[in-house]
Amino acid sequence: MSEKSSIELKVGTFIFLSLIVFVAFVLLIGDFKEWTNRYNVKVVFGFVDGVKVGSPVRFAGLDVGEVKNVDIINPSSSDEVSRVQVIVRLKGHVRIPKDSLVLVNTLGLLGEKYIEIMPGKNYASFLKSEDTIVGKDPIPMHSIMRSSYDTLQDVKEIISGIRHGEGTIGKLIYDETVYTNIEAFTADIRKYPWKLLYRTKEEKPNPEKTNFKTR
Amino acid sequence: MKSFLEYIGTEFIIFLDFLGGLSILGLKTVSSIVRYPWHRVRLFQQANRVGVDSLPLISLLALFQGIILALNTAYQLKRLGSEMYIAGILSVSMVRELGPVITALILAGRVGAAITAEIATMQVTEQVDALRTLANDPVRYLVVPRFLSFSVMLPLLVLFANAIGIFGGYLICVYRLNIASRLYTKIAFDSLLFKDLYVGLVKSVVFGMIIALVSCFEGFRVTGGAEGVGKATTRCVVSSFILIIAADCIFTALFYFLMP
Repeated sequence: MSEKSSIELKVGTFIFLSLIVFVAFVLLIGDFKEWTNRYNVKVVFGFVDGVKVGSPVRFAGLDVGEVKNVDIINPSSSDEVSRVQVIVRLKGHVRIPKDSLVLVNTLGLLGEKYIEIMPGKNYASFLKSEDTIVGKDPIPMHSIMRSSYDTLQDVKEIISGIRHGEGTIGKLIYDETVYTNIEAFTADIRKYPWKLLYRTKEEKPNPEKTNFKTR
Repeated sequence: MKSFLEYIGTEFIIFLDFLGGLSILGLKTVSSIVRYPWHRVRLFQQANRVGVDSLPLISLLALFQGIILALNTAYQLKRLGSEMYIAGILSVSMVRELGPVITALILAGRVGAAITAEIATMQVTEQVDALRTLANDPVRYLVVPRFLSFSVMLPLLVLFANAIGIFGGYLICVYRLNIASRLYTKIAFDSLLFKDLYVGLVKSVVFGMIIALVSCFEGFRVTGGAEGVGKATTRCVVSSFILIIAADCIFTALFYFLMP
């Protein structure tokens, strides 16, 4: 009997220990998400650029939570547009001023998206659980491309103008008049240095214009 | 040519015979499990043999496995300067794949072969027939405790193997590659999902059933004397290995396509 019960004790201990290992795995994988003190904040965006459930949330550059849910809010009337509501789960001790700027940012080379919260200035009022804040929409890639394309078009126009000798800079670079003038001037001065000291005969001093005149 | 075709035919019939016998034994086992009264003492004996006694061996090999995996991954990742991701690669491959498969293969060799030898000897010395004459169903008396203890103890051993394998990687990463210990655990467990854990455990339950059924089946169908017992043991280990790896392939494909 004692041998039997010692076997049962061994097996029981084994099962108990492995259950502890199992629970440890579950807790470590789950990262204690549901047990620690957390609160949810809703952020409304017009465009989220691929934020997913589980995307990190950073406050002042520090990971403080994650995206819990992303969903479309359908417009209630015809003059509204669809918006996206992102429910963000934040650590309980993180207090976020109401005037903080919430935006979608890109992490690393692979382009993973995350929600960036830039701390506001007003530390008198903080976001509470289930509060809603309006996020700043990220600029879609195609509109960045578009505006940089427009800018490039403008730059191209200016450069081609310069190349054709148009405008002040174009004339400065391509028009030789200024150069020939300066050359003639220096040659003249080298020949007749006294001209630098020569004072042309002044006409009658005009009280309004004297200050413009140099010697 | 004719003899070659004959050879293929014979082998195929032997294979079908094996699968059929295995399925019949499996069905009998399940039906005797359902009819409740189990041999409780035998169950605990087998659980002790499969689980507790195998733990030191499994732990040692899982530790080595973790170390090997960490070193081999480091060998490649060092070129990219991203050794910290070893933790993620190691924990996921350990939990999803290596833990269950290595544990199952070790147990098939360690316990499966022993079970076949035991049952085959009983069969050869007509002890199984003696059980039958005493109105003891050999399936219920011999197979059910082994089947149950394998299908319960193997996943538990896999849990230990996973934890110890990750610890083996920890030793290399922290003490050899100078990765911060907190960073290692964070990356190791952040990369793991619940899905990875239960995929590994479901697999190991199936592997346990395979080992138990194959080893009992090969034991029961032994012919001849001592030589037959030896052959049965060899067949048991070979068939278990093949079936475990085939089942692993099927499961991995299933989980890949059904739950991407």
